[in-house]
Amino acid sequence: MPEYFRTMLARLEWFGKMVENVALVALLGGMMLLAVAQIVMREVFNSGVAWGGEVLKLMVLWLAMIAAIAASRDNRHIRVDAISHLLPETAIRISRVIVDVFAAVVCCVVAWQAWRYLQLEIEFEDTVVINTPAWLVHAIVPVGFAVTGYRFFVGAVRKAFGVESEVERGAVL
Amino acid sequence: MIVISIVLVLLAILGAPLFAVIATSAMIGFSKDDTDLMNMAIEILGIADLPFLTAIPLFTFAGYILSESDAPKRLVRMTGAMLGWMPGGLAVVSLAACAFFTAFTGASGVTIIALGALLYPALKQDGYPERFNLGLITASGSLGLLFAPSLPLILYGVIAEVSIDKLFLAGILPGILMIVMLSGWSLWVNRGNKKMIKKFSWAELRGAVRESVWELPLPFVVLGGIYSGFFAVSEAAAITALYVLIVEVGVLREIKIKELPGIIRSSMVLVGGILIILSVSLASTNYMISAGIPQMLLEFVASMVTSQTTFLLLLLVFLLVLGAILDIFSAIVLVVPLILPIAAGFDVHPVHLGIVFLAAMELGYLTPPVGLNLFISSYRFEKPIMEVYSATFPFLIILMLSVILIAFWPDLSLWLVPDS
Repeated sequence: MPEYFRTMLARLEWFGKMVENVALVALLGGMMLLAVAQIVMREVFNSGVAWGGEVLKLMVLWLAMIAAIAASRDNRHIRVDAISHLLPETAIRISRVIVDVFAAVVCCVVAWQAWRYLQLEIEFEDTVVINTPAWLVHAIVPVGFAVTGYRFFVGAVRKAFGVESEVERGAVL
Repeated sequence: MIVISIVLVLLAILGAPLFAVIATSAMIGFSKDDTDLMNMAIEILGIADLPFLTAIPLFTFAGYILSESDAPKRLVRMTGAMLGWMPGGLAVVSLAACAFFTAFTGASGVTIIALGALLYPALKQDGYPERFNLGLITASGSLGLLFAPSLPLILYGVIAEVSIDKLFLAGILPGILMIVMLSGWSLWVNRGNKKMIKKFSWAELRGAVRESVWELPLPFVVLGGIYSGFFAVSEAAAITALYVLIVEVGVLREIKIKELPGIIRSSMVLVGGILIILSVSLASTNYMISAGIPQMLLEFVASMVTSQTTFLLLLLVFLLVLGAILDIFSAIVLVVPLILPIAAGFDVHPVHLGIVFLAAMELGYLTPPVGLNLFISSYRFEKPIMEVYSATFPFLIILMLSVILIAFWPDLSLWLVPDS
């Protein structure tokens, strides 16, 4: 791999991680404040906003998808992992490459299907809270799965070429 | 079809991410039924329709903040001041403090890391045998699972569509039973140890209260608010998260602002792992229900067992095996929709089923070969895994007895629950 390509990839990694962190902080902070604001409005001012509950639920969806991307970067997706402590190092490496490629393919298929669904939502002009186009809010699903799939693919390549020096064992949680 | 299932199971055992395995099985089911695969997207979007789901990220975040601060130290001192005078004092203190901490942090292994580091050397200093301490701390790591506001209880409520408030009430007595039985065992094992008897001291209690004055309101606000019906669970979670953030970062300053993104990331990564499994299993569950699989399972089980007692026995065996393979969150999401209708067929109350399910899964943390707590202990205390297995074994047996009691004594769970 040429040097500039490598630096570019490293920058992309760094940038991606920053975007994830900013999004996670913003979503969690937003959820916290919105939920507390709703309680205060209800208990103190006896009022509230009708869309609060629905926005919170959509924020959970976004949080889930972005956290899933982050989990694939940090290699912290939940796995059964019953036998890895019985296998030799090379066998673990090979099996990890296989299952990561599998996960990458599955993510891409789901992303593709979600993309198709989005087209339908655009066509039918579906809306969610306060007349926001539904596809705009739901776009996080194909994007999230596509990026997660990309992360698994990168992970598989790294494991295959031994960029990751040590393969973790035991329960991953 | 069978070949595909075997390949999927094989991939899962080899360590494929569970959500990918579940998504594949759902999509295979859909395509077999000639359902458009686009339905995957609709099902995944279904997590935006589930009630109370905001509680999961918010409580997880609060738990991570608490365990990164000095709150564990204060909790141990507080529990020590309150319970340390009892015979077997520090062992009972360990059990109570761990249970309390796990309830608030969601049983993801942080209890052993955060509290074990404090309790393990303290137990040794008080003359408890090393092996006992190792087993005690490992077993305590998931003890508070049945107490509000633990994440598995909330997740069960969401999946089974059971009132979370009722689950919170139902968990109290079974949870206490587990602690009492383990305390009894600890006392019996250490009956010869005279060093462990300490006097109760008002001065120490005052000191402990003064030290944890900021965290003390938390359990009262959260639990009082939920149990009295003043807050919904998701609201209590938001208040807890905001309060903990303000106290530990703003008032006590034990966590620096620049550490926050890292803490948020690692807590949300856990949440993302759980929620993505939840989202794809909404699809696989719906497929299984439309294919009539729960009904088939019920008929199959009914052809083998006839009474509620034998059903519960079978369920326990099944859950113990399940707990040894799957983590508690995936197990709830995947298995609860399937066993709910079966349990209903045998007149098992859904709230009671939830308590039995979680209590049995709690054992899974301690069951060789893959119990999570065993690995965390082995790693944290630098002990060979075999030593942890054998040190934990007596505690596993006691907990197993308590799970059997909980399963066959439904009133213990349902006694505090109104209209059940």
